[in-house]
Amino acid sequence: MGQGETLVTALVETVDVAKAYGDFVALDGLSLSVSEGELVSIVGPNGAGKTTLVNVLTGLLRPTRGIVRFKGDDIAGIGPVRLAERGMARAFQLVHIFPALTVAETIGVAVVSQSGKGLRLFRSVRRDAHVMQRVRGVAAIFGLEGKLDTQARLLSQGEKKLLDIASAFALAPDVILLDEPTSGVSSADKHGIMRTLIEAAHRAGVKAIILVEHDMDLVAEYSSRIVALQAGKVLADRPPAAFFSDPALIAAVVGKMPVKAAKAA
Amino acid sequence: MRIAAVIAALAALAVLPQLISPYYVTLVLPAFAYGIALLGFNLLFGYTGLLSFGHALFVAVGAYSAAVLTAKLGVKSLEAIMLVSALAAVLVAIPVGLLSVRYVRIFFGILTLAFGMLFHSFLFKFYNLTGGDTGLRVLRPSLFGFAFPNLDKTSFLVGPFYYYCLGLLAVMGLVMWRVVGSPFGLQLTAIRENRRKAEYLGVRARLFCMIAFAISAFYCAIGGVILAVNTGQADPDLAYWTHSGELVFMTVLGGFAHFFGPLVGAFAYVFLKSQLMSVTEYWRFVMGAILVVIVVVLPRGLIGIAHDAWAKVKRS
Amino acid sequence: MSAFFDILLGGVFHAAVLFLVAAGLQLIFGVQKIVNLACGSFYALGAYFGVSAVAFAVSVGAPAYLFLPILLVAGLALGVIGPPIEALLRTVYRRDEAFQLLLTFALVLMFQDILRFFFGANPQQLGDMVMLYGTLSAGTVLVPTYNALVIVASIAIAFGLGAFLKRTRFGRILRATAENREMSQAVGVNVGRVYATVFTLGTVLGTVGGALVVPTAAASLDMPVELVVEAFAVVVIGGLGSMRGALIGALIVGMMRALAIRYYAELEMLAIYVVVIAVLIARPAGLFGRPVE
Repeated sequence: MGQGETLVTALVETVDVAKAYGDFVALDGLSLSVSEGELVSIVGPNGAGKTTLVNVLTGLLRPTRGIVRFKGDDIAGIGPVRLAERGMARAFQLVHIFPALTVAETIGVAVVSQSGKGLRLFRSVRRDAHVMQRVRGVAAIFGLEGKLDTQARLLSQGEKKLLDIASAFALAPDVILLDEPTSGVSSADKHGIMRTLIEAAHRAGVKAIILVEHDMDLVAEYSSRIVALQAGKVLADRPPAAFFSDPALIAAVVGKMPVKAAKAA
Repeated sequence: MRIAAVIAALAALAVLPQLISPYYVTLVLPAFAYGIALLGFNLLFGYTGLLSFGHALFVAVGAYSAAVLTAKLGVKSLEAIMLVSALAAVLVAIPVGLLSVRYVRIFFGILTLAFGMLFHSFLFKFYNLTGGDTGLRVLRPSLFGFAFPNLDKTSFLVGPFYYYCLGLLAVMGLVMWRVVGSPFGLQLTAIRENRRKAEYLGVRARLFCMIAFAISAFYCAIGGVILAVNTGQADPDLAYWTHSGELVFMTVLGGFAHFFGPLVGAFAYVFLKSQLMSVTEYWRFVMGAILVVIVVVLPRGLIGIAHDAWAKVKRS
Repeated sequence: MSAFFDILLGGVFHAAVLFLVAAGLQLIFGVQKIVNLACGSFYALGAYFGVSAVAFAVSVGAPAYLFLPILLVAGLALGVIGPPIEALLRTVYRRDEAFQLLLTFALVLMFQDILRFFFGANPQQLGDMVMLYGTLSAGTVLVPTYNALVIVASIAIAFGLGAFLKRTRFGRILRATAENREMSQAVGVNVGRVYATVFTLGTVLGTVGGALVVPTAAASLDMPVELVVEAFAVVVIGGLGSMRGALIGALIVGMMRALAIRYYAELEMLAIYVVVIAVLIARPAGLFGRPVE
């Protein structure tokens, strides 16, 4: 590639990133990139460095070496607020809600902060048609439009999870990072949730999804690319077909061939 | 329905001086003062979830500013006095707030208690400036330029000053109502419920806590000015930590989860305290016992009790 | 030179008493996560009760050397108020910290009048009891024996407390419960009993502190609210929940107070708060505390 040609610019990328805690090396020279239109899954056994990588990708941790970029800008250690302002949202494995706030209020927080109206002190939120419209829109994507005035703590566990993710989507982020979004969800519902998430991402204008998952069925089905970590390094970085046709790789990552991939191979 | 209730309450307060004796009317003035102060305090406590045990500091700043302005600098305009006092309080709130909002929960309470007492010891020790133990006198200000020279102290207080304060309470209440209903107010509640998640949703928690802190200081100072004009005195006890504790007591008594809770609490507390004081010298014990009952059995305060009663009435 | 020793002694004596109260605070906070605003009230109760106990002893002709033990016993005896108060606090354990703080504030209010009711509005003191103990001399330095004994007693209590927490079975249970209540419960620890014991212990530390101080200072109705401020300065400097912090913090506050009283009385508490703020800027969790979110 020459200087004058257009490259596919990465939305999120790390270049030779390392993170050490004293003697313990959590990440060891890791490079990956996520571009528009991709759903990249990060997999690997516990202790492989997934959490550390995610924390570096979301600006929570400063790498001890290397660069982490979002939309071309260095985001090392910028923290959750600035990350959200720049357009990346993160949903956690454990459900985080605002117990006493209603569904509408919860989604409204994200809409309001993202729309730059955060410092308005004297205009009513409820009467802001633009805000309320967006709130209703996001709620509808996740099937929560009937519960707009219900307090978050009164929702079922599944609904809380949806709300948690919905509020992240309400930020209209360019990239969303989902940390085991189907954990705690019954196997029957997992695919439904994933499909809802992907559709929501499309509707919300999300350009790329980063997924951290243990469930290899989901990974096989929905990823455009899989990044496997081991001991802080990238073990493999391939599309699903190439990933699941390598038994040694599977064994290293998971130890068990997922059903669908086995059928496909 | 709520608007009707508020208008009814304001109307009742407006005609009150005609109906009851001046003694009782002079009790309503501290209720106005604390009502305004608590509107600000509850923005920080009920809405943002930060419990300060040092907010009496800002009430004292208001009172002492009024004293210095009227008695030492000859400023008479109450509007100027309130503005300067409130700005002084905001100025003090900035360093105090910057240091304190780093913390949450119990540490915030302890730190603010320490700052309040720092100010108290400052007031106490530097008697050349602050009158020390005896405090400073506060002279009668003019209201919108009118001095009312022919009215004696009590007539001034239960007359023009009463209505001035009632109007002030209504205006400041309206402003606070808009603030809590605004995007800013919504984000404050998010900070209260889950600060971390709020930050992930792009809420600048520290900045917003600082702003809430400054607004609460503003309101408390105005309350302090009213108290000082009412008693004609600014003394160091206003800044003592137990006075801060009383602010919290009043707020919880009324119900901190509701906009009107602090107002109800201010009125209830002022009247309760004065009645008890006239009945027994052990009024602190009774107040303490009442606080125990509220905390243990009725944490949603008087407004909570009213809501439950109303719900029962509707069901039957 | 003797001025230096006077200050040193005064500072260490004050620190010794402050340490007891602060240790009580730290213990209760460390295990139950409650900040006890009523610590000053317990201290004052110890002081008043100590005065009464010694006055009674005098009236029945007890010899002077028994007065210190009597004060100690008076302080310990007040431990009976621990369990009922803890039972009251138990009703708000699960609730927001604001309520716990408010409940202890309610206790402060109630104790103000309880003290007034039982002991009257006038300050009470033990006159020249300190003199009765005489003075020790080391070269040119004169030390009131009483003060020295209190310092020794406080050090002994500090060591005893440390040994109790580190070496005894109950101490280990206590520390485990402080770390992780649910886990302790899961392995069969009677958390309720632990809490009651800890609270009583914390209370007793406060009442003993008050009882021991009373020969050198009058018991007054200002005591409860004033002591809280100093005690909090100690735990903020030392770090909330840390015993070592209570010790170092008490020494710092005690010495500052002694210096200020001697040289610049106006600045007494102000100086202490400057140190508090400086420590907080440099180390937000205090010198030995655990970092906060």
